[in-house]
Amino acid sequence: MKCEQISELLPDYLQGGLSPDQHHTVEAHLQQCVDCSEEVAVWRKLSLLPVEQPSPMSRVRFEAMLQAYQAGRSNEPASGPSWKKRPSSWNFFHWLRSPFGAAAWSAALLVIGVFAGFRMAGPKPLSPDIAEIQKELASTKQLVVLSMLQQQSASARLEGVSWSTREQQLNPQVLSALLHTLRYDPSVDVRLAALDALSRHSTQPQVRNSVVNALQEQQSPLVQVALIDQLVEWHDREAKPHLEKLRQSQDLNPAVRQRADWAISKLN
Amino acid sequence: MLQVRDGAGEMLGVLFDRYQTPLFNFYSKLTGDRTLSEDLVQEVFLRILKYRQSYRPGTPFRAWVYQIARNARIDHFRKFPRERAFEPEMLPPVVPTDSAQEHQEAELLHRALLQLPEDKREILLLCRFQELKYEEIAKLLGCELNTVRTRIHRALQELRKSFHQLTEATLKQANAAAPENLPPRGGRHEV
Ligand SMILES: [Zn+2]
Repeated sequence: MKCEQISELLPDYLQGGLSPDQHHTVEAHLQQCVDCSEEVAVWRKLSLLPVEQPSPMSRVRFEAMLQAYQAGRSNEPASGPSWKKRPSSWNFFHWLRSPFGAAAWSAALLVIGVFAGFRMAGPKPLSPDIAEIQKELASTKQLVVLSMLQQQSASARLEGVSWSTREQQLNPQVLSALLHTLRYDPSVDVRLAALDALSRHSTQPQVRNSVVNALQEQQSPLVQVALIDQLVEWHDREAKPHLEKLRQSQDLNPAVRQRADWAISKLN
Repeated sequence: MLQVRDGAGEMLGVLFDRYQTPLFNFYSKLTGDRTLSEDLVQEVFLRILKYRQSYRPGTPFRAWVYQIARNARIDHFRKFPRERAFEPEMLPPVVPTDSAQEHQEAELLHRALLQLPEDKREILLLCRFQELKYEEIAKLLGCELNTVRTRIHRALQELRKSFHQLTEATLKQANAAAPENLPPRGGRHEV
């Protein structure tokens, strides 16, 4: 076959879009044609070009742009709940700070709306495009989780925790936020829900560590028992000394002490 | 503290993390100008914020972003016409080094790319680095799918030629400089 005919196939060959027959034809031609094979080689060599990194100031500028834009849009005086003070470990949310807060629910609604849009518009087979947008949305959802975990209302935070369980993979920020919730959330229900959510991610080492550490920190018997049960479920033998320590602590709820004894025997 | 009335802020944060580097590379490889590229990336995100209503869920998001990116660049050069086009000659010469052959190849290829006419460079960047599908590129450039294929082929042909020339020139330079100092090739021993 001539180069001209091959050249019509070449672009699809490069992206792997040819039928097996056509693919074979092109490969056979490449074996004997220097020009065409060099063209393919140059295409492949393009991967040698390094990915350049924008300067760190880029992010700062972006933040400023976002704030300026939002300030320009919100002419009405600020109202509603003021920003809740959080312990310093929440500082890693720093970059997210301004867009968060009261926006959580509208963001949630937005995501739900977009998902509903898919369901109605999209026929069953997932095209790669839709898969990609779903990926995009998955991370948006994680951001919504983050913002919900910071809400003042316990039921909103609870909802945030339960949203997190719909994702198989949690990004590090959501994971840290859940660990923080497990330790410091004022509501027992929310802490229990966080433990439940985290139990699905036991392969992450920091999850196990946090559960063990929470054992000493938690005062609520309900949470203590749940933590102990979780450690037994994981057959976490390294937790044994921590359980021993717990059962020796003064004014421990008797039910919790009993549970700890049971756990220690289980882990033997 | 600012009150935000919709979820655009957090969405945009995610998008920024995901797209700022690819977009920056699109611009920097296209224009060879880092500062301008960073400005254009900012412009893209401002436009995404402004025009987010025009995105139709269910259509390829990446293609939408690159549509905005192209327009931002076109508008920029409409507002600030270039005094002169980018000249590869403005770059310092590639010094042949025998240690980092791959690095040198990349450098030569980069130059070859910058020597291409802008439209050819752009189409190669779109399909090779921004990983857009040919159909998406066709839509983006407003042309037929077959035209995209032809253009990619032509761009690649031209890239091959200038890469070839640059490589030859560098080799000649290297041989002239130190013909006897070439390292042995393929010096691995059979065991
Ligand atoms: Zn050929």
